[in-house]
Amino acid sequence: MVSQLIRDLLRIKKFDLSVAIFSSILIIGLVGPVVYEVDPVKMIGPPEQPPSEKYPLGTDSYGRDLLAQLLHGIRNSIYIGLTAAAISLAIGVTIGALSGYRGGVADSSLMLITDVVYALPSIMLMMLIAAYLKERNPIFVALVIGVTSWPWVARAVRSQMLSLKSRDFIYMSRMAGLSDIKIIFEDLIPNMASYIFMAFVLLMSGAMIAEAGLSMIGLGVTRGVSLGIILYWAQLLESVRRGIWWWFIPPGACLVALATSLLLLSTALDEYFSPRLRGG
Amino acid sequence: MSPIMRFILRRVGFLFLTFIVFMLIIFALPRAIPGNPLSTLLSQLFQQAQANPELIKAVYKRLMDEFGVGKPVHIQFIDFISRTLRGDLGTSIAFYPRKVGEIVAAYLPWSLGLLIPATLTSWIIGNSLGALAGYKRKSAVDNLMLPVFLTLSQTPYYWLAMILLYVFAVNLGVFPIGGAYSSGRIPSLTFEFIADVLSHYILPFLSIVLSAMGGWAIGMRVMVIYELGADYINYADSLGLPDRKLLRYVFKNSMLPQITGLALSFGTILGGSLITELVFNYPGTGYLLFRAISTLDYPLIQGVFILLISTLLLANLIVDFVYAYIDPRIRTGYLGE
Repeated sequence: MVSQLIRDLLRIKKFDLSVAIFSSILIIGLVGPVVYEVDPVKMIGPPEQPPSEKYPLGTDSYGRDLLAQLLHGIRNSIYIGLTAAAISLAIGVTIGALSGYRGGVADSSLMLITDVVYALPSIMLMMLIAAYLKERNPIFVALVIGVTSWPWVARAVRSQMLSLKSRDFIYMSRMAGLSDIKIIFEDLIPNMASYIFMAFVLLMSGAMIAEAGLSMIGLGVTRGVSLGIILYWAQLLESVRRGIWWWFIPPGACLVALATSLLLLSTALDEYFSPRLRGG
Repeated sequence: MSPIMRFILRRVGFLFLTFIVFMLIIFALPRAIPGNPLSTLLSQLFQQAQANPELIKAVYKRLMDEFGVGKPVHIQFIDFISRTLRGDLGTSIAFYPRKVGEIVAAYLPWSLGLLIPATLTSWIIGNSLGALAGYKRKSAVDNLMLPVFLTLSQTPYYWLAMILLYVFAVNLGVFPIGGAYSSGRIPSLTFEFIADVLSHYILPFLSIVLSAMGGWAIGMRVMVIYELGADYINYADSLGLPDRKLLRYVFKNSMLPQITGLALSFGTILGGSLITELVFNYPGTGYLLFRAISTLDYPLIQGVFILLISTLLLANLIVDFVYAYIDPRIRTGYLGE
């Protein structure tokens, strides 16, 4: 069944394209730093050199190698994106599933909480929390993004839950005396797998963009490099006004390519799973 | 009570609750985060007291007082809420002894002046183009527009801003390289000054409009496709209603969720435009926030967020009014429960 699914998906052009873009950048981020062994935060040459044979993507104002920064940045941004998305997904699915399955008071109170958090823009909450953290390592940043980005997932999972829970096979499980938790995690959530995967993909692209936003305002990781941190330095040292295009274009382009490929992937899956969008 | 009133009252109650929760978060963060940022700041100030005893002592005393150090926590919170509701947002550290409210008030109009027109413009253009793409699905127009929308929706505002600034201001020299008006000019209501402001306005405006547009277009496109396949449209079509009329139905029904979306995305757009201000050195709240963050001016950071969130919740309420007025289900009490 799984191999049939993959074969079907591979026939969708959008799916192929998005997977190709994302995995090639991912591989560059994973393998790059191993092959290209230059320290991204060490001065290795003269400052502000344009791309050349010696410095493939040039150097920044401190004479640091920008290709090395980009490779490490891709790795860290994807790492933050994955971790943040996993955290949001865990919170969102748990709240949405409990709320949709239980109904009643549990449902109304959980949804009230969700709506309140939803009404507060996540990027603001992120900035607010991050502003009070002195040391911000990638895990902290992922955590800050993760705990603020889940409300739409909770709402979406809840509505899926409502439509699933009145199906026959759920009644069967209930009659068999299975516990609520067991039914939720063994019967309901597996049936939403495709949906949850799409949510994960969207959360991840959102988290990578959020990381860049936090970095830009001065609240990114305090040690190490990420795509957002490169942009932050480029902005802080006026690279745009001084025409140092090789500093701010590559990290932004990678970020857009990563995020767009993920959005494209979720669009492809959406079209595959909902016939109305697929039909000609 | 009329259904519209009931709807609005419920929304006002909800938004007020949201505001209180937000205040609770703002209140709790400096006090709850390990390493207690507030006490770190206070002790830092205390150590600096040797250098400039008079001023530092005054700041220190003011901070102790405003954060209510030493009082029971619930009293601190009630004090905090009641002071905020009276419009007192505390005193800035970096700009001591200026009040936070007064500082933010000087920056907020620039942000709103950029944000509101840009949001509405992107909403109108994005939705129109999205509806067109949805209607002409799988045509050349749609195939061309969709990838553009997808990419734009994932392009951070500030990165697009950097590109636009680089191309149009730095390379081509068509627009100024930043600020809200040329330095040396004195704000006045003359034609020259307004023209100067506008020429500084276009690039930041465009970068927000362009990057916010993609998301609206994608949403609208999907919505129109769904509506076009709906039973009522098939039925109306089989009755032989003209295409123009069908399209009007589709458009109206697809519009409602987009209006709700407008309220929800104000925050995201605001977040993006705050950072865009940094790229353009635009003297808005984003610029102020950046300075407050880099000097750890917590009262100022708090104040900026409180004012921004209040503005957002107010915008939400306005959207609710529009929604209640437009949606027939609310007018007739169908959604009243």
